[in-house]
Amino acid sequence: MSDVEYSDDDYYDDEDMYDGTQDDADDDGMDMDNEDFQIDAGPKRKPYETEHESLSQAEVERLMRREIEQTRNILGTDESVAGLLLRHMSWNKERLIEQYMDNPSKLTDAAGITIPEPPSPASAAPVRSRSSRPSSKPLPHKRPSPSKKDEPFVCPICFDDAPGLETSGLDCNHQYCIGCWTAYLSSKIRDEGEHFIRCMAEGCSIVAPDCFVHASLLRDEPETWPRFKELLARHYVSCNPSLKFCPHPGCTNTVSCPGASSKSSLLSIVPTVSCGARGIPGQEKGPDSITVAREHKFCFGCPIDSDHRPVICNVAKMWMKKCADDSETANWIKSNTKECPKCNSTIEKNGGCNHMTCKKCKNEFCWVCMGPWSDHGTSWYSCNRYEEKAGIEARDAQSRSRASLERYLHYYNRWANHEQSAKLSLELYKKTEKKMEEMQITSSLTWIEVQFMKKAVEEADKCRETLKWTYAMAYYLCRGNHKELFEDNQRDLEHAVEELSELLEQPIESDTIPTLRQKVTDKTVYVSKRNEIVLDDTANGFLEGRWKWNVHVDGFDDPDPADLAF
Amino acid sequence: MDARLRRVNKEISDCKADTSSGIQIELIDDSPFHLLGTFPGPEGTAYEGGTFKVDINIPDSYPFTPVKMKFITKVYHPNVSSASGAICLDILKDAWSPVLTLKSTLISLQSLLCSPEPNDPQDAEVAKHYVTSKTGFEETARYWTKVYAGAKDNIGVGKTAGGEDQIAIAGLEKAHVDQFEALGFPREQVIDVLRRLNYRGKNVSQISEDRIVEELLK
Ligand SMILES: [Zn+2]
Ligand SMILES: [Zn+2]
Ligand SMILES: [Zn+2]
Ligand SMILES: [Zn+2]
Ligand SMILES: [Zn+2]
Ligand SMILES: [Zn+2]
Repeated sequence: MSDVEYSDDDYYDDEDMYDGTQDDADDDGMDMDNEDFQIDAGPKRKPYETEHESLSQAEVERLMRREIEQTRNILGTDESVAGLLLRHMSWNKERLIEQYMDNPSKLTDAAGITIPEPPSPASAAPVRSRSSRPSSKPLPHKRPSPSKKDEPFVCPICFDDAPGLETSGLDCNHQYCIGCWTAYLSSKIRDEGEHFIRCMAEGCSIVAPDCFVHASLLRDEPETWPRFKELLARHYVSCNPSLKFCPHPGCTNTVSCPGASSKSSLLSIVPTVSCGARGIPGQEKGPDSITVAREHKFCFGCPIDSDHRPVICNVAKMWMKKCADDSETANWIKSNTKECPKCNSTIEKNGGCNHMTCKKCKNEFCWVCMGPWSDHGTSWYSCNRYEEKAGIEARDAQSRSRASLERYLHYYNRWANHEQSAKLSLELYKKTEKKMEEMQITSSLTWIEVQFMKKAVEEADKCRETLKWTYAMAYYLCRGNHKELFEDNQRDLEHAVEELSELLEQPIESDTIPTLRQKVTDKTVYVSKRNEIVLDDTANGFLEGRWKWNVHVDGFDDPDPADLAF
Repeated sequence: MDARLRRVNKEISDCKADTSSGIQIELIDDSPFHLLGTFPGPEGTAYEGGTFKVDINIPDSYPFTPVKMKFITKVYHPNVSSASGAICLDILKDAWSPVLTLKSTLISLQSLLCSPEPNDPQDAEVAKHYVTSKTGFEETARYWTKVYAGAKDNIGVGKTAGGEDQIAIAGLEKAHVDQFEALGFPREQVIDVLRRLNYRGKNVSQISEDRIVEELLK
């Protein structure tokens, strides 16, 4: 039924296109590498990318209007009634039509609507109403009417009895002063986030139509109206499994991702999406905007509001829960200071790089495993791989539980370290950025020539995000060839990122910039390639069903008893 | 004048003017938005004869959001928390309407005492008691009314003269408590476990003694 075309739709389609171009024009073109960030470029999509589309609130509102328009044409009601019915039925148009055809008055009763009887020319169109007094006509389209001069009116809520007090009411004709209506609607919208607002009379189920809300807020609280419209859009989005509201604070964009709307799809894809916006709305033009304004990436499939590729939602959630439960035990890792493994003097980490050099004894070691740094460049050294032997040989329960904690800490340590390193290198970059800006003035370098640092920091940040989640994945992957290959790719990416981070911490002088620039640019390209390899391979592994877990994961076969994590 | 203040002042003075309902609203401190409500327990119920005090907090957005009320007086009732006095009543939540008043809300509390709603309990243990043994529940509620709400002891409960009888407060049989206390468990712990397990009425035959001992050993 919903496929029937109506001439009215064409009107809205025209409007769509007009507004669409306007929205694009709003984009501030600040994003210089826009072509790299094309997220919905269909044909060039990588196996680890999920097709999605970003919608502004205005675009969501147009989708809503179109559904209301279609419903209204099918049911023969007015727009306001169709809208309230759809909201009451959680925007399930098919079920709405079915139930309406079955028993219209039952449905409109439940939805808090007063509707005129179907057109029958002679009858005086009585109005369905719960109040004993039948009201004349639906009021909401008109400006709320003032009370009649001859009857003294006392507002039953605020007890105001001033002569000429303006009052209004819904179809049920329960009259209250306009000030009370405004305060009531505002409190429902602002404090309770409610958009389905019933009449103030006790037990009265009539719902305030949008135009009534608008008229009541217009004079004294116009700023609450946009909040109401946002609530309507959020409700519509929450009712539609292929839409999700951007979770970043202050953002009102919506992402449409039909490919990730079912639970089963989440067993083979990680639907990382982006609403296209960056930073916090209203603060885009701040001084730190370039470095701080992060893209609004989030997972369409779960509540994690960042990119948790390559690991699927169910496993990512298990890991987050594990970390939250074990946070006490693992807290010490987060501390920023450690002791040199050779001379025991205190060393503070202040950059993103894990290559530590003791100021006192010049010992070079790895911050994560505290092993000698010289071994880290060789391919046989595996800082990332946990040697399970300790666990296998453990005899009694106590040493098994110690081994199990050790195993967890191995992964958690690396997970937390990448998170911390990303933060630290961002801070370091802010300092570097200032210096580069100065250099633009004092040297002959152009703005574009000093941009390589920004790209490198962003790339390192992205890869650390990937690495972080590879540790969550590795913790749950069951032993075997597949896991080893996974860890090889993980190690190669990790090496590359650490090398890049080290380059980024080199002192910058204007005469060394050209060489540094070449090195950093090359390394950035290499790192980005290694990241692709990890993401590609894991994404393909999910599609092929290659990954097996060492614990029960919802939607997967239970692991072999031999593969269970101890 | 501030609309909220005007409304609250009028509500307080209207309530003062009406002496027939027995409902009182008084100031607790200097604030007109923090009040004390009092009403008599409804006649013909286990709460008869008691005087029930209610803490009333009027939020900034009153009367567009519901008034906050909780019992100060301890009440044995499925929809009232026996520990905190919190009340489970629809009009204090989503069924609130701005036309309701402090007085009409207190009247609703009074009638809540007449008609418990054990399917929507605030206090699960009390609700269980109510469902298992209505007479046992009423006996306990009556005892609480006497001990906490100052009802005169004219109904023939109160097994001990003076002081609070912990067994009666928990709505248990003295013989049951004695039985397990004799096994060497502290009295308070026995009362606590029997109350949690709802060791009352027909449940007594359904809960094995081993099960109780097991709980006591936890
Ligand atoms: Zn008013
Ligand atoms: Zn009404
Ligand atoms: Zn966003
Ligand atoms: Zn997810
Ligand atoms: Zn040292
Ligand atoms: Zn290492």
